[in-house]
Amino acid sequence: MDFEVTYTEEQQRFRREVRAWLDANVTPGLTRIPISDEDSLLRYRELRAFGRKLGGRGWLYPRAPQAYGGGELDVDHTIILEEEVDRVGLALPPYYDSGGKLGSATILVWGTEAQKQVFLPPIYRGEVRTWQLLTEPGAGSDLAGVTTAAIRDGDEYVINGQKIFVGSDHGADRIWMIACTNPGGARHENLSWFMIDADLPGITVQPMELMGTGGEGGTDPVQKNTVFFDEVRVPAFALVGGENQGWKAASTHLELEHGAGGRIGRNRVWDRLLRYCQETKRDGVPLSQNADTRDLLADIYIRTEVQRLFGLRNFWLTYAKRPRSYEGPQLSYYRKMAGLWMTGAILEAVGPAALTSDPTWGSPDGFLELQQRNGIIAVHPGGTADVQRVSMARRIGIGRAARESAGTVH
Amino acid sequence: MDLALTESQEMLRSSARSFVEREAPTHTIVALQREPSSLVPALWRKAADVGWPGILVPAEYGGSESTLTDAGVLFEELGRGPVPGPFFSSGVLGALAVFEAASAPQRSAILPAVAHGEIILGVAITDPNTSWGPQAVTLRPQRVGDRYRLDGTKLFVSDATAATHLIVAVRTGDGPADVSLLLVDARARGVRTRRLRGFLSWQDEVTFEGVDVDATNLLGGREGQGWAALERALLRALPVLCSFMVGGCQAVFDLSVKHSQQRVQFGVPIGKFQRVQDHIIRLVNHLDGARWTTAEALWKLDSGRPAADAVHLAKAMASEGYLEACNAAHEVHAGQGSLTEYGLAAHTQMSRTLFAYLGDPRWHKRRMANALGW
Repeated sequence: MDFEVTYTEEQQRFRREVRAWLDANVTPGLTRIPISDEDSLLRYRELRAFGRKLGGRGWLYPRAPQAYGGGELDVDHTIILEEEVDRVGLALPPYYDSGGKLGSATILVWGTEAQKQVFLPPIYRGEVRTWQLLTEPGAGSDLAGVTTAAIRDGDEYVINGQKIFVGSDHGADRIWMIACTNPGGARHENLSWFMIDADLPGITVQPMELMGTGGEGGTDPVQKNTVFFDEVRVPAFALVGGENQGWKAASTHLELEHGAGGRIGRNRVWDRLLRYCQETKRDGVPLSQNADTRDLLADIYIRTEVQRLFGLRNFWLTYAKRPRSYEGPQLSYYRKMAGLWMTGAILEAVGPAALTSDPTWGSPDGFLELQQRNGIIAVHPGGTADVQRVSMARRIGIGRAARESAGTVH
Repeated sequence: MDLALTESQEMLRSSARSFVEREAPTHTIVALQREPSSLVPALWRKAADVGWPGILVPAEYGGSESTLTDAGVLFEELGRGPVPGPFFSSGVLGALAVFEAASAPQRSAILPAVAHGEIILGVAITDPNTSWGPQAVTLRPQRVGDRYRLDGTKLFVSDATAATHLIVAVRTGDGPADVSLLLVDARARGVRTRRLRGFLSWQDEVTFEGVDVDATNLLGGREGQGWAALERALLRALPVLCSFMVGGCQAVFDLSVKHSQQRVQFGVPIGKFQRVQDHIIRLVNHLDGARWTTAEALWKLDSGRPAADAVHLAKAMASEGYLEACNAAHEVHAGQGSLTEYGLAAHTQMSRTLFAYLGDPRWHKRRMANALGW
């Protein structure tokens, strides 16, 4: 076994190239916490501009095929790139683009050649950002129960309905969505996916203020949206994976959303928590030297380590093309439950300072206060912790006559 | 990065698995639970023939000088039994302690016999009413000429009733780590070993009454070197013990999945019930947490990286994981799991034993924090 990527001379050179490029292109302001709504919008525009620069080099979606504007880098180069981007406090993509990530992955597996040529390059080059629209007021964990209707009318589909708890702040260019294309049809045989423009007539976005978003990377930590569709006409070309074939294509989307891709990289909240506890004194001694706090920190650290190892394992399983079973939802479940548990552990370790974003008395940038919110909220998006457990059980082979297999990932 | 086993490790795994299935099926392991010694001579002989007691012994002393990851592959298969016997006590902790502590002539005298299974080592560390640090060693021998005279008791010694020789940690000075290791013939006059009764697996009491040990049996020939040597041995031995526990977790997971598919209540297999599924999810998360923290600790040691924090983390995860995995398995099985002949109980008892053995999770988490330099 080898838990570490070893780099060749050429790869080391690539790392230096990436680092130099990032040093020249990442301004300190890119990672700032916005101080106002105007500043939030400004920062978002800066991030989008940075995304286009990354996209121009194929570094926004480094593993995606070059033929469609991706970088087509191998695993090792991708790891280097992600490590370096992580080092400067950003991620790929550097803004919330869940529909771009999951939609493009689904199109790569299930789309036609013409759809790949039209839909993928703008995503990979950073020209568009895409929200994913799955959840509805009446269809949360029961995704197959969506009722937003997309009915064929000549060369178009007409969409009517409502999506909820979606997107982030500052709008989207594209929407990646699932809808019901046969309202009277059998369950699981009446769904389809669409990649559509976000500014079509009849689409209305209404912001929702939440207690947190689960740390999905939006520039505003508390915004999600309701999106209404009122007689929205989209070209038939927007339908991906075949009419009423959406449940099959969903396996790719959900597999990735449920953690199959894995993750490498450090746990920033942990790094900052340890530093905070070493630098913050309570009763005259650093928190990290208090015996009870040390015990809590040890328990927190162990969970971050297990999560890191599950992420590393999934990353390897996917990219070494090894057979997968329950590992994707396991990572997702573990991450969600560890985050929720950690809210209590951190509150106990740090005390009420964990709850304030006050610049004097709270943690730097209020990162702990954010964790207190997001640790709770992150249990739900992308399939609740309970849904992850259901999915794990099916793949382990209990609860159903036939064992479920993992979704196809490119 | 490559998280797969090598081809030769895969071969070791499959030969170990078929060996265990053939030589130590569940009914053998269940029957063994009542025996005063964990040693099954015929099984030990066959294992020695394929070199298992010498898996970590250097080639120059007749062993196979395998990597710790290789040993982990073997011990995961033994843990699935769980196959008791002094595989760990003699072949891992005992052999590594001798390697770390002994002089070259002592190594030559002891290790080949350990590798061939002729000497069976037990490692006696803790005294009554102590824990696992050097302060646990309070037994103080009397120096009489060129001998040490031992009077006292060692407690919770693994596999002492199976051992031909005991490595006994003794106090030879007043400094906290002034500990020395004596090699004591387990059949010498005045040595008595006794398996403790109850819900634990071959954790024995060893009493010494006027036992004379020749000073040539002081490992390394100098006093006060024992604790440091034992720590070096433990650093490498602990993750192999963790692999044994990972095997235990895997076995109770497999049992639980099968039971939930076959046991019918309310007209359906009980795996249909999400409450039952939840136990299995909890179990597999403990299994994989133990598995991957253990694998990384083994890799760090094999590749010469600093590993103390990872080793302590793995021991905490594996001990906790095995105990919790058994708890979850009992919830899945209900009455069936409590029948000793079914085999789950042997794991449950082993999980409790290894939870405490060589330091419980809290003890190791604190050492992990120290090793990380917080």
